[in-house]
Amino acid sequence: MQGRNGLPVCVKNMSDNGKEKEQVTLTIDGKEISVDKGTTVLDAATLMGIHIPTFCWHPKLDSIGACRMCLVDVEKFPKPAVACATEAMPGMIVRTDTDEIVKARRGVLEFMLLNHPLDCPTCDKGGECDLQDNVFHYGIDKSRQAFTRRRVIDDQTTDAFDDKRIGPEIIRNMNRCVTCYKCIRFNKEIAGEYDLGAYERGNHTVIDAAPGEQIDNFYSGNVVEICPVGALTNTDWRYKIRNWKAKQTLSLCSHDADGQNIMLWHDQRQLWRATSRRNDDIDDGWICNIARYGYQYINSPDRLKTPLIKKEGKQVPASWDEAISLISKRFKEIKDSKGSVCLAGLIGGNQSVETAYLFNKFFRNKLHTNNLDYRLEYIDLKGSDETEAYNCLYRAPFTIADLEQADVVFVFGSNFIKDHPAINLRLRKAYRKFGTKVYTANPVETKSADISLDEMIYSPDTETAFIAGLIHAIIDNKYYKNIDETKAAEVKTMLAPATLDEAARLCGIEQERIVNLAKVLSEANNPYILAGDYFVASAKRHRTANGMYDLANLLGIKDSNAIILASQANSMGADRVGVRPRLTENLKKTLIDKWGEELPESPGSNTSQILNNSLDEEIDGLFILGANPAMRYPDGPFVNSALDKLDFLVVADLFETATSAKADVVLPLAGWAEQSGAYVNVEGRYQKFEKAQDADKGIKSGIEIIHSIARAMDLSLNLDNAALMHETKDIVDAFEREARDEAKFFEVKQAQIPEHDNYPYRLLVGNDIHHFGYVTEHCPSLMRFTPEPYLEISPNLAEKLGIDEETLVRIESTTGKLVLKARFSEYFEGDVLFIPNNFSATEVTGLVSREGGGWVKIEKLDDK
Amino acid sequence: MILKESTIKEIKTRMERYPSRRSAILPALTAAYRQVGHLDNAVYKEISRVIEIPYVEIAEAATFYTMFPKHEVGKYLIQVCHNISCSLRGADNMLIYMQEKLGIKMGETTDDNLFTLISVECLGGCSAAPMMQINQDYYEDLSREKIDTIFADLRAKAEEEGK
Ligand code: SF4
Ligand code: FES
Ligand code: FES
Repeated sequence: MQGRNGLPVCVKNMSDNGKEKEQVTLTIDGKEISVDKGTTVLDAATLMGIHIPTFCWHPKLDSIGACRMCLVDVEKFPKPAVACATEAMPGMIVRTDTDEIVKARRGVLEFMLLNHPLDCPTCDKGGECDLQDNVFHYGIDKSRQAFTRRRVIDDQTTDAFDDKRIGPEIIRNMNRCVTCYKCIRFNKEIAGEYDLGAYERGNHTVIDAAPGEQIDNFYSGNVVEICPVGALTNTDWRYKIRNWKAKQTLSLCSHDADGQNIMLWHDQRQLWRATSRRNDDIDDGWICNIARYGYQYINSPDRLKTPLIKKEGKQVPASWDEAISLISKRFKEIKDSKGSVCLAGLIGGNQSVETAYLFNKFFRNKLHTNNLDYRLEYIDLKGSDETEAYNCLYRAPFTIADLEQADVVFVFGSNFIKDHPAINLRLRKAYRKFGTKVYTANPVETKSADISLDEMIYSPDTETAFIAGLIHAIIDNKYYKNIDETKAAEVKTMLAPATLDEAARLCGIEQERIVNLAKVLSEANNPYILAGDYFVASAKRHRTANGMYDLANLLGIKDSNAIILASQANSMGADRVGVRPRLTENLKKTLIDKWGEELPESPGSNTSQILNNSLDEEIDGLFILGANPAMRYPDGPFVNSALDKLDFLVVADLFETATSAKADVVLPLAGWAEQSGAYVNVEGRYQKFEKAQDADKGIKSGIEIIHSIARAMDLSLNLDNAALMHETKDIVDAFEREARDEAKFFEVKQAQIPEHDNYPYRLLVGNDIHHFGYVTEHCPSLMRFTPEPYLEISPNLAEKLGIDEETLVRIESTTGKLVLKARFSEYFEGDVLFIPNNFSATEVTGLVSREGGGWVKIEKLDDK
Repeated sequence: MILKESTIKEIKTRMERYPSRRSAILPALTAAYRQVGHLDNAVYKEISRVIEIPYVEIAEAATFYTMFPKHEVGKYLIQVCHNISCSLRGADNMLIYMQEKLGIKMGETTDDNLFTLISVECLGGCSAAPMMQINQDYYEDLSREKIDTIFADLRAKAEEEGK
């Protein structure tokens, strides 16, 4: 079967839930086939390679039989039937190719063309339009149309050709719509969004945003992709290039950790769009707007194109040779005079896994230092390299598609829609199709908790108390499995607060709700606990992770079902190839084996230790590859002074950033689409992406940069690209985590919650829904959704403080000050504030301390 | 608030009769229409809040049904069927005649705010085509003469009530 883009589409048996199904045998066009009971005639035909034209059918949406294009003849049926909504029955005899059927389909098409403007030459969908294809195939070239065609002109529009902008990206041309309702169905069924509707009916039907609103939801790009005709198009792609002139390259989303599969459309010099590349294991063919529009930074005019070298306090353009030899000279000097321990490297979480591995090899094996890390967005790592419990849960073998088999999912500290767009949709699917029960606990109301049966909001910084409470509830009510009473009593003494009552009071959630969650989790056959970014960014996440570990052990939750989810496209990859100071025994062995040499002995420093040590002048040379800690790491002033203190800082990045501004040498870095490589997603799945476009002459990839520095230092890494790919893959495959010990229980002690009397409001910092990391501000489409930073505030709190929407507010913490426009939150209720850290113009990390997150006071600026 | 307490109460009572809140959309729209005289976005927003169904779904349901006027209309809302049976029996001519007679175009309201003229799809009165509905009543087998009388009667009635 051919998909819309002429690419093969794998059609899975529709038995989504893996259970054995009864078989049904029927005959289609003279051939017999057996299919699962419940399969439609259309799917059965598709399995046999018989093509039936469709408009409203979609493999991932419920069939509604709206367009009648898929008519087939079924023996003993009085009239032709719609294949997409007719269930295959035993002994059914179906014909898809009779004269009568051809005539019927031609009739359907003639009706579809009644009002169609036949404007293919000016329509952007031309060449990938189902209507065009079907009409061409059935040869309807004469019209019996005698009256005026219906034309929907929106008088507010200035755009030509009856186009109407209905969202920041989406443009609608109603004249071309075939009313298949796929857009609306996707929006409601899959994304759970209600910003698009079908109004009026029959000939008058109009597809439009909710009256007076815009379609701007996070998954809205999908409606453009599934519209079978040119009724919905987007600004990103339309009128830039004809689809048959663009080349296609297999790629992946380069931002979040889910690893959504995308197809890049380009002409080798410029990327033109990204579309989904359906992978049923991950994304079901739906991608979020960041995956769709987040490629645009690659073609930003602001890209760095020549190296810069700091001369007399000013960065000036230089040649690559000059830059590389300077780096090699300075690194050598530091190494020879002060020793390897004074060198360090930080690499961003969206560099390819090969780059991460080469980086690791360069630092460990060639420069002989263990000072390296990829975790640049966390709050202070506090000297330790995570704890046993944390690492164990972080590396757990999780599979996104398995969520469909979950009966209870407890989401702990995550606004899934922001953190994990694909997992979010999978969870919604599990909820909608298989009745999975979802429970959430967060520091603030979240958008994705709309499917939660109990949305619990804990007071700031009480994650650990919450989980301790949950453990109390389990022990008090004897919900535990696998341990005896004495052990349970012992575990209870390891908790602080010491009783459920105290814990519940501290986190501000009623006891009964905690007990209920404990009960539901203990009764479930296949429960999940998923922890996301609020958890990861919480100050005392190690203590909480201990609790999560204990909880999983108490309830006998499977290894694959209790996970702390990674955040970036290759966080997991960097972890697996060892870009962190402390390695697992297994990984150490693999590396020694590969490199034929012992690893350096020093304990090594993680990100926060590297920064601390550079303040103490114990680290002199730092190489930052594709990361921007000055903008993203908590406590901006601290990071800045640490970077200032360095003797020699090299930053390789796509753009000039707050971090590169401090560098002695800045190197222009290639983006992911300008090289081939792989990412390891949140599940630990190794996925390749291919090079789409050539980088500008002045730009080099991370791999080339590392090689050239090594060469200049007379160190050979001895790995050509093919060998590098191979070796990296081997190491990723060989990775084994230290498994969870079911008999082990850790202490779960809530830390003292610091007093911050003068700073009464909790500030959360993170990604805006339409931004990710520090590069998306170079994506014009995403900037259309969220153009500028803001302070998100609950309407209640705003009212209390007399703050109106759009007014300027001063936000102040012990470490910094900021002025931003207020924006009322659709979700927040309490005294919690949010500021996105995706905009270089605001130094929001200046407000956040490394120890305890952000506590601020706010005040309205005078209107003067 | 546009909806009165009593309307909201009525909607809530109706809601209890259905297993799903979604089923209450039409009764809610009807109740709102009876109180306000027409429906618009502001009304949908309020209904959406009362029955907790997304705003867009209320708007979709309301616009699906032509019998809810979506703008302020005159005292008498004339809905003329222009579907196939009525068309074959001369609905188009009736429409032209009514426009001339009232001095308004389709979709408009007379200056005295008495009549609003619109055309609608089949009202299920095909056996007596051409036909129209004015407020809650059907007027069938239309002819020019019949239309003259109907309008005259309604004018008189309005004047009567006006006093
Ligand atoms: S706009 Fe496109 S997807 Fe939506 S109903 Fe019309 S043809 Fe279908
Ligand atoms: S595809 Fe079957 S009715 Fe539309
Ligand atoms: S066609 Fe006019 S009432 Fe049916």
